[in-house]
Amino acid sequence: MVAPSPDAGKPLVILPRPLYPEFAAALDGRFRFVLAADADEGNAAEARAVLVPALTPVSADLVARLPKLEIVVATSTGVDHIDLDACRRRGISVTNAGEVFSPDVADYAVGLVVAVLRRVAAAEAYLRRGRWAADGDYPLATKVSGKRVGIVGLGSIGGLVARRLAAFGCVIAYNSRSPKASAPYKFYPSVRELAAESDVLVLSCALTEETRRMVGREVMEALGKGGVLVNVGRGGLVDEAELVRCLREGVLGGAGLDVYENEPEVPPELWGMDNVVLSDHRAVITPESIQGVVDVVKANLDAFFSGKPLVSQVQL
Amino acid sequence: MDSLGVLLVAPMNAYLEQELDRRCRLFRLWESPADRRDDYLRAHASSIRAVVPYAHQGVDAAMIDALPSLEIVSSFSVGIDRIDLDACRRRGVRVTNTPDVLTDDVADLAVGLAIAALRKIPQADRYVRAGKWKSKGDFTLTTRFSGKRVGILGLGRIGLAVAKRAEAFDCPISYHSRSEKPFPKYKFYPNVVDLAANCDVLVVACSLNPETRHIVNRKVIDALGPEGVLINIARGAHVDEPELISALLEKRLGGAGLDVFEDEPFAPEQLFELDNVVLVPHVGSDTEETCRAMADLVLQNLEAHALNQPLLTPFSGKRVGIIGLGRIGLAVAKRVEAFDCPVNYYQRTKQDHPGYTYYPSVVELAASSDVLVVACPLNEHTRHIVNREVMEALGPRGVLINIGRGPHVDEAAMVAALLDGRLGGAGLDVFEDEPNVPEALLGMDNVVLVPHVGSATHETRTAMADLVLGNLEAHVAGKPLLTQVV
Repeated sequence: MVAPSPDAGKPLVILPRPLYPEFAAALDGRFRFVLAADADEGNAAEARAVLVPALTPVSADLVARLPKLEIVVATSTGVDHIDLDACRRRGISVTNAGEVFSPDVADYAVGLVVAVLRRVAAAEAYLRRGRWAADGDYPLATKVSGKRVGIVGLGSIGGLVARRLAAFGCVIAYNSRSPKASAPYKFYPSVRELAAESDVLVLSCALTEETRRMVGREVMEALGKGGVLVNVGRGGLVDEAELVRCLREGVLGGAGLDVYENEPEVPPELWGMDNVVLSDHRAVITPESIQGVVDVVKANLDAFFSGKPLVSQVQL
Repeated sequence: MDSLGVLLVAPMNAYLEQELDRRCRLFRLWESPADRRDDYLRAHASSIRAVVPYAHQGVDAAMIDALPSLEIVSSFSVGIDRIDLDACRRRGVRVTNTPDVLTDDVADLAVGLAIAALRKIPQADRYVRAGKWKSKGDFTLTTRFSGKRVGILGLGRIGLAVAKRAEAFDCPISYHSRSEKPFPKYKFYPNVVDLAANCDVLVVACSLNPETRHIVNRKVIDALGPEGVLINIARGAHVDEPELISALLEKRLGGAGLDVFEDEPFAPEQLFELDNVVLVPHVGSDTEETCRAMADLVLQNLEAHALNQPLLTPFSGKRVGIIGLGRIGLAVAKRVEAFDCPVNYYQRTKQDHPGYTYYPSVVELAASSDVLVVACPLNEHTRHIVNREVMEALGPRGVLINIGRGPHVDEAAMVAALLDGRLGGAGLDVFEDEPNVPEALLGMDNVVLVPHVGSATHETRTAMADLVLGNLEAHVAGKPLLTQVV
């Protein structure tokens, strides 16, 4: 006979992949965690909750394997890695990270705008290679203050980007599904129109079937050869092959990219360009954000298992 | 200005050169060999009426002597430390510069460097370009910028622009400067070490002078501490660089974002290998737009000179600071402009006069002026607006002009400052206890005293009487009053 597990009686939570240490420590002892790959028939029959570390895919197959599933708790803002149709059909709730990542993503977007326009990374490389003393002053860059910034998706992140860049003296406009009555910025009903009236286009919207590859050649041509694209949303918002072509041909002036279509793959053509600033999908990776998401996940799981309202439910 | 002969001392900006070539008679000094430049100047001496220098190459007394037709020096720079101003004044040569156009650029870069340093943006860029994301996984954890306590050294125009930007990131702002400024949202520290101990990001944004050289020393760096980040967009000499390097190497300081260095264009090589610093080669104001705005100012100044109109940014006259840019203040400004005096002003809010430089405090205004004119209305906020501190900022070569009301000036403090030589001189039409004038003033030869005669001309008094009569008539006739106050 097997001794009863100390976890017996604690709510079961299925994990598509192992938890990060920060989560494991914070949630320690409150739940019974079982990896999806290790779940036996008993677990599958019992499980009411799935917790999704990072951007691990949650497929329709996994959802189908868990007949009692009621909630998928995501640890990200975007939930495009979760099969939302499958959840919608079954009436399964999905929660995300709420707004805890917004300040970091907005900061990173502003950092990329300044870094691309003022050539911070390229000027840095110039200096570190000793070229300042050898070859003289670094060439002139482009001013940030006064630029027209178009924001695609004026949600929590887009709103913070707008407020931050407005303080830089930038003129803010935006595109979203519908105009926001409370936003003091000009609304454009299409991304192309917004791009045509902007010097900088910041992508901070969710990736959905409507927004997939919304930035194609036409939008980049509208943004123009002096224009800069900054993407802190999802790689899938941009036609990446076209982006590389537009940058190479000078159709687009520059780009700041934290996300890519096929991470961690980054198109090698970008590595040699000094008008782009690249990073490894890191906009949210700070201790402050991690603490924030741990708190939200804990709150959602506690609310769910005690029958209280969820704190950051996604509208499906 | 087709006929204006302009000497450009070096190829400093392609747009400026092209426009000068198109609009004037352009002489390019660098086209003659270095050892034949005297001959070149002699050959064109009668044609050259203007010189355009820049920060790296100025105008010395010898050049001014060699150009007898010289009328104006219009510098493509803010600083004019390489122009012999005394020689220009002696010859009556006008001088202009390009002030106030780079504030936004420098502030943009300061905040950009703070984000880049905390979030390691260039480091992540190098990591991805080296293909390490795929081979080694995510780069590293970094710190949030939003909400960090930002301390600013020097709350002048650039410091204020940094504060405004950082506020939008919900950063609490504190500062150190010579005196407390009228910004209750920002916390003032009278001491730099205390400021550093109470902030996460310290931004150096003050001007360089003997008191601020090495203002960021070992004590300040240690107070900022192993989690703190230093941003320097001012001058390299503000920071004790060897101390900064050892603090970074020993991890006593968290990180740094540096645009300036002590021995430019050389940056200390020990920094090149560090992963917690962001280093850029003094590019604070190096944007196309700002250089173009500077070029346009040079061109507009030359054009104004050629057309005999007031210069846009004169530098050769005394700097006149005006307290209160109302009708009288504006009329004073218009008059002193004709003397090539740069106009500065203080008012509770910035006014829409791009030609005049705004200062958010009277002390800063006084510190940046040779002549301070009081032209504001008297109310509870402006009583004794010129106090001891303001007069000290104006200094032993400064002159105070009061055509407002006596109580605008702390008269006892003024008398003491004049007696001690802490204030250079005064011109006074008004006094605190008229018709009594402090006895001590009567014996001084550096003051001009008149008995409140500002509007005492026949013409003005007649016009005032007509207005009184006109108001009474309008009242009796039931018409709108001409100049209603209440």
